[in-house]
Amino acid sequence: MLSLLILLPLFIVAVLNLPFKVIMRRLAFWMAAIVCFSQLFLVLVHPFLFWSAIPDPLGPFFSFKLALDHITLVMLFSIAIVAFVAFLVGRVTIIDEVSRFNFINLVLILLIGMNATVLTTDIFSLYVFMEVTAVASFTLIAKKKNILALEGAFKYIILSSIATVLMLAAIALFVLVSGGTTFSAIYGSFSDPANSFLLKLGVGLFLCGLFIKSGIVPFHGWLPDAYSAAPASVSTLLAGIVTKVSGVYVLIRLVISVFGVTPSIQSILMFTGISSIIIGALAALGQNDFKRMLAYSSISQVGYIILALGVATPLALAGAVFHLFNHAIFKSLLFINAASLEEKLGTTDMDTMGGLSARMPVTATTSVIAFLSTAGVPPLSGFWSKLIIFLALMYAGHYYYAAVALLASVITLAYFLSMQRKVFFGTLREGFEQVKEASGLVAPQVILAVIIIGVGLLFPIVLNTFILPIGDMLR
Amino acid sequence: MTNSILLLPIYVPLFCGLVVLALRKSQRVKEGITFTATAINFLFAILLFKHDIVVSLPWAGFGMEFSLRLYHFSGFILLAVAFFSFLISLYSVSFMRSKEKLNQFYSYLLLSLALVNGAVLADNLILLLFFWEGLLLTLFGMIAIGNKGAFKTAVKALVIVGISDLCMMVGIGLTGHLAGTLKISEIYVPANTIGSVAFVLLMIGAIAKAGSMPFHSWIPDAATQAPLPFMAFLPASLEKLLGIYFLARISLDMFKLNAHSWLSTLLMVIGSITVVLAVMMALVQKDYKKLLSYHAISQVGYMILGIGTCLPIGIVGGLFHMINHAMYKSCLFLTAGSVEKAAGTTDLEKLGGLGRKMPVTFICFLVAAASISGVPPFNGFFSKEMVYDAALERGALFYVAAILGAFFTAASFLKLGHAVFLGQLKDAHKNVKESSPAMLVPMMLIAGGCILFGVYNVFPLRHFIQPILSVQLLNVPDFSGFPSNGMIVLITVLVLAGALFHHVTSAKIMGGGHKAAEHIRHAPVLSGIYDRAEARLLDPYDIGLRVVHAICRVGWWIDRAIDSVYDRFCVSISQRCSNVLRSLHNGNYALYIIWALIGSVAVVFYALQ
Repeated sequence: MLSLLILLPLFIVAVLNLPFKVIMRRLAFWMAAIVCFSQLFLVLVHPFLFWSAIPDPLGPFFSFKLALDHITLVMLFSIAIVAFVAFLVGRVTIIDEVSRFNFINLVLILLIGMNATVLTTDIFSLYVFMEVTAVASFTLIAKKKNILALEGAFKYIILSSIATVLMLAAIALFVLVSGGTTFSAIYGSFSDPANSFLLKLGVGLFLCGLFIKSGIVPFHGWLPDAYSAAPASVSTLLAGIVTKVSGVYVLIRLVISVFGVTPSIQSILMFTGISSIIIGALAALGQNDFKRMLAYSSISQVGYIILALGVATPLALAGAVFHLFNHAIFKSLLFINAASLEEKLGTTDMDTMGGLSARMPVTATTSVIAFLSTAGVPPLSGFWSKLIIFLALMYAGHYYYAAVALLASVITLAYFLSMQRKVFFGTLREGFEQVKEASGLVAPQVILAVIIIGVGLLFPIVLNTFILPIGDMLR
Repeated sequence: MTNSILLLPIYVPLFCGLVVLALRKSQRVKEGITFTATAINFLFAILLFKHDIVVSLPWAGFGMEFSLRLYHFSGFILLAVAFFSFLISLYSVSFMRSKEKLNQFYSYLLLSLALVNGAVLADNLILLLFFWEGLLLTLFGMIAIGNKGAFKTAVKALVIVGISDLCMMVGIGLTGHLAGTLKISEIYVPANTIGSVAFVLLMIGAIAKAGSMPFHSWIPDAATQAPLPFMAFLPASLEKLLGIYFLARISLDMFKLNAHSWLSTLLMVIGSITVVLAVMMALVQKDYKKLLSYHAISQVGYMILGIGTCLPIGIVGGLFHMINHAMYKSCLFLTAGSVEKAAGTTDLEKLGGLGRKMPVTFICFLVAAASISGVPPFNGFFSKEMVYDAALERGALFYVAAILGAFFTAASFLKLGHAVFLGQLKDAHKNVKESSPAMLVPMMLIAGGCILFGVYNVFPLRHFIQPILSVQLLNVPDFSGFPSNGMIVLITVLVLAGALFHHVTSAKIMGGGHKAAEHIRHAPVLSGIYDRAEARLLDPYDIGLRVVHAICRVGWWIDRAIDSVYDRFCVSISQRCSNVLRSLHNGNYALYIIWALIGSVAVVFYALQ
């Protein structure tokens, strides 16, 4: 039944584009919401039994196989939440009805791409679905049609295509050596020492492609421009989940199921991870544009995930995936806050803001919750994932990395605190007396804030049912 | 009678205290509840006296049980505590009327009673500590509801008693570790090196609760600031009883001190110093309540001295002095309250000639003052004689200190009585009237007790005091009746006569009762010491505060230094890094692609190795 997760959004897209344009445009949002909720429902209510008990009737029609494990489950969950939230944001921020209809269609296609990327067990299909995701996101970024949006989209396309070239070359090498495209076939060919040069070359190229996709230092040039140029609803999606699925998730998946953990991969991952953490955080400190600061903060947080993946102990892997989930939640929330400010003030320049907590209490409060979670302050969810990563680093004996990761958290807190002070605290700037909360955005803000607090408080349950089983998958 | 009746002396005042605290209005109801609760408690204490009951309930685990033990000693203290709290609640009904924060006062009174009962009955060190520390809260609360400046004194009391309680806590841990049990009735710790440390720590807790030097300095401050019944209730009677009770328990039962131990000498030295220094301070006070409060400190010295001698006669004397002191000192405080209520002041210079206007108060004052000065045949005389006897046996120096204390005590009370009740009646007090019966009855009852315990001292000694020791020392000689050592009695009488003579002559020369001690105040060496003491240079609390302030200042500078390192160094480095990174991200897309390509080459190269 796993194909349902791909076919349902596809079916909805088809239905939406039937001739009844007027009705369909009204229904679009609700149908998209139904897709998200059914995905959430399926993931939460039927973790495993459901998928294995009912044979997939449509399986034979595909030339690739789908599989579900604990990482996939967490990813599907995050995808559904962020997509739903993005629909909510889009509903408020995109005024033109046609444009909103197109947005919903594109996001549904993005959803198909991401779900399939997460579920597939075949390296070529993986590539295809990553491209589906990427093309949908280019279009979404460029949708604003102003010069900045086009520039952002263009930058994304260029570096993405470099990544595509690198990955395709790597896939070619893998197919050349192993003769198959499934994960297990390629993994099997790693045991033959005769193939080692070509495979290592392939691994190196593939890693570079994925680093570009996930925006790791020094492959991150496109990311701040793309995030800040995209419309609010799109940057929420991009920062929250798209780059995490097509970059970070694929990296995790390939490292644990295909490449295997070798010392050289480990040191590459840990080095790039820690440099992303530091450089991202320091660069964020110097930004005065809200969205650019969030973009650099994203680079820094992805660094934590990559660093933990590099440690490659079961605990570290669990921490990496948990942080991926948390990052999806809190970064989406922060981008929604940015969207709310942009919507009401028409700018994201932090230097022109001040004292807005009096006018926008929900935005100010959720912003505090989100950045405290990002900086890893107990008892919010971000604290626990950072704690797991930190403990994993300590247990594995990487004391210097642990110390640096901890110090970078302090920088994280520093730039977020200065953000909060500039934007929300202090006396209200002139001209903002009439500013109000963006009413449609309160719901997604509150939902995400509740998830952050809830996961933080219910951490023992989350840890035992979702997080720790991930560690056992490391072979 | 089931054993759990032992819980009632704790629960009844506790419950009533909480009810009083919760009640919003209706002063009468509060007074009624308080009075009834103390009366019921008194009844319990009478019923329970002379019974042996043990109750043990599971509590915190790890050897910490909710175990209470009633036997002769604890029953006696329970009775005394119940007696005083009953009388003071009666007195307060009249005295405290029309004062603010009444519900707090009555509630603290009842809670204190519950906690003291609990501490006296506790048979487990941790349980004892629980009640003991709880008493700190009510002490704080009772001082804090006083007039302006009382809060500062409350903090002072909290700090001083808190620190000494902390010592006691450590001592309890050490004792429990050494003895292997926390059950007080089973503990025996030999007074070797580490045992002595444990004893000293516990002793600090006990004598600080009793208000001995050097833990005394909050008492004189509280005397003028806290509500007066509080002074008669906690520092004068309940805390003395509890502190000396615990001191007797640790030195007699738990550590079994003997006269050869250096700990015994330590106790006697503390006792002698307290007697002499506090009475010297008392002598020069110009306020009724403050003068009494210094005597409350000074008299503790006699009790510690008596118990410290480790001789049967000294211990009996010390314990007898404990109960006597609680009687005459609370009576004296009550007379002070009576004068305050009537005349509106307790400043000695503004008082005078009140004896004719307030005869009952004056008579009660005379009896209590004679008791505290050790005039035969009042009760203070007999207990002091025993302490003198024991002190002389241990060393002439201790005896000299004790007799010196007696001289100055007598002198200061002659001064006090002369200044307040004799002499010229001040114009402002022409219309002064005797206090109400609710205030007079407690005073008269206690004054009567002073006479009874003196003239018929066979009763308290045979029934209350001596059986306490019979548990340890199987055959205690009977000390009741007139003191056996005629020589000491003679010296005492001579000293008292000397004090009278001194007062009469100096009052004549100086002109006025309240100036009778001025020549001592301005004596060559003493005046320097008095000046410093009055400037609070010798207060251990203030000295400690100054030390703490100095440490804080040093800490502050260190903190500033570290902070400036963070502020300048770290911030400027991260700002510089951030600026460099910002200039690198200049939007030049070719540069970004070059980074990516260089990165790719590096990764591939590394992966191939």
